[in-house]
Amino acid sequence: MSAPHDVHESTGIENRKLAMWAFLSSEFLLFGAFISNYLLFKGRLPVTDALHPVNFYDIPFTSISSFVLLMSSLTMVLAHHALAEGDQGSARTWLLATAGLGVTFLGGQFFEFSEFFDAGAGLGVAPVWSSFFLLTGFHGTHVAVGVLMLVILFVISLRNDGLSEAQGLNLELVGLYWHFVDIIWIVIFTIIYLIP
Amino acid sequence: MAHPTPKQYIRVAIFLAVLTAVEVGLFYLEAGVDGVTPSMTSPALLILAAVKFLTVVGWFMHVKFERPLVSRFFSIGFVIALGVYAVVLTEMALAFARG
Repeated sequence: MSAPHDVHESTGIENRKLAMWAFLSSEFLLFGAFISNYLLFKGRLPVTDALHPVNFYDIPFTSISSFVLLMSSLTMVLAHHALAEGDQGSARTWLLATAGLGVTFLGGQFFEFSEFFDAGAGLGVAPVWSSFFLLTGFHGTHVAVGVLMLVILFVISLRNDGLSEAQGLNLELVGLYWHFVDIIWIVIFTIIYLIP
Repeated sequence: MAHPTPKQYIRVAIFLAVLTAVEVGLFYLEAGVDGVTPSMTSPALLILAAVKFLTVVGWFMHVKFERPLVSRFFSIGFVIALGVYAVVLTEMALAFARG
């Protein structure tokens, strides 16, 4: 994503942007650890066991949550595109839509966790459950941080001069982070929920 | 390379939504049809996830329109994570098998 802003670095890429890419790259190691942890313990509890997470998953519900997060990536990229075109009003609308979809996803996750706890699951029930909550909880925390950054950008955009060129880079960085959260969910949805 | 238009972004999003629907369909195919096993659907699910992953990275994160340095930066972390955890999972699986 490249908004029109001056680049003074020898790499031709803004230092902050390169730092964001490096940060996101390192996040693969964090989420990789959590996913591996889940996969490790998943097989330690027989699928026939009533407490195995596979017997708790509500695939239609999680599919809708996944769809919501995917669409938030669309609204995010449209916000960035609108700002690059100088359309502050549309950028603001798409930012708010992205934050709204993020909150919807978080609400779904909160509902899912509540259902699991009501049905007898919990952090201390089995290692596979600890690893499940650790993984999805950390992802949810990332979404929450993303929503917070989107809301801050929205508030800044409400000021008289709207989002400036410098803040265009901020929006781009928040966008990269948001899309990363989305691609991590693509992996989690397939590996944790869909593959038995 | 010119950046995509909003219409192109919407087409990409529809493509991603269709792939997600196919994934869910495969899940129910495996769960509801005798003779369809996880060993048949799992590789397809992984391929679909990889296509979705690369589509978001390429189009929404604009990696295909950026300098190669960006994709190198990004893929280094992914490759290291994949390698490290493949080794860890293999080693742990062997340790569990040994008891």
